[in-house]
Amino acid sequence: MPELDPIIHQPVRLQIMAALNHLGSREQVDFTFLKTKLGLTDGNLGAHLLTLEEAGYIAVQKTFVARKPKTFVAATAAGRRAFEGHVTALTAILKAKGSL
Amino acid sequence: MQLTSEEATRALAAIQTTREAMRSAIRAHRGHYHLWLWGVIWIAMALLAEFRGQGGVHLFPWICAAGFGGSMVLGCIQGRQIRAPVDKRFLGVLAAVILFAVLWPLVLRAQVNDRTVFAYAGLVAMLCYVIAGIWFDTYLLWLGLVITALILVGLFCFAAFFWWWIAIFGGGTLIITGFYIRYCWR
Repeated sequence: MPELDPIIHQPVRLQIMAALNHLGSREQVDFTFLKTKLGLTDGNLGAHLLTLEEAGYIAVQKTFVARKPKTFVAATAAGRRAFEGHVTALTAILKAKGSL
Repeated sequence: MQLTSEEATRALAAIQTTREAMRSAIRAHRGHYHLWLWGVIWIAMALLAEFRGQGGVHLFPWICAAGFGGSMVLGCIQGRQIRAPVDKRFLGVLAAVILFAVLWPLVLRAQVNDRTVFAYAGLVAMLCYVIAGIWFDTYLLWLGLVITALILVGLFCFAAFFWWWIAIFGGGTLIITGFYIRYCWR
């Protein structure tokens, strides 16, 4: 039975993982694009990405595109498993309480 | 970690909201522009061949070169926001396919006319779609297989109006798939 993941459950990190989990398994998303889509600031997104990266849930790749630095982010296989487990645990709570 | 059902409901609602936002954003980064571009190119080539004959056929390499250039520009623009790092194995398979596509007609020396050359080039492109589908996304696999079948049916069963067949079922299928991906993708 999957358990709730306290790292993922934080509201901003939950949004980040939901967004990254929706990409294809080989796809990466640009930092600025993700920041705009989630309505976050640079600092806020950067801090939460660091937490998720340290947990092994995301991979961050820094590169240059047309000589400008770019940061791309993707969910790792472990991150996808943890997120799916978290969603399953949330759903189980509602089922147990008869809300679903 | 313990949660009430209200907290769980809020968390699931937040996930759903984010998924919806990402879904529409990702749709705008799929391959629909490429499909529209190549759908228009196929229609243009088919109509040129139909109405201008050999003179129109001679323009095919230039039209395809413009298409390749357009696809490269589109790929660079779209890859700035959502990208999938290119797998070296995939590029290797593509290079091998293209190499053999050049070698086959030299070796076989089959009866060659405008229709068979177009069908052959179309089948090579569809082989690339199929390989890309195997590697990346199943819609490319099915699109490649369906258009391969349509090309073969047009060539062997409806040769008299082959160019109309390609314009409608070849170019049309690419464009409709582009619209499907843009507006109805999962």
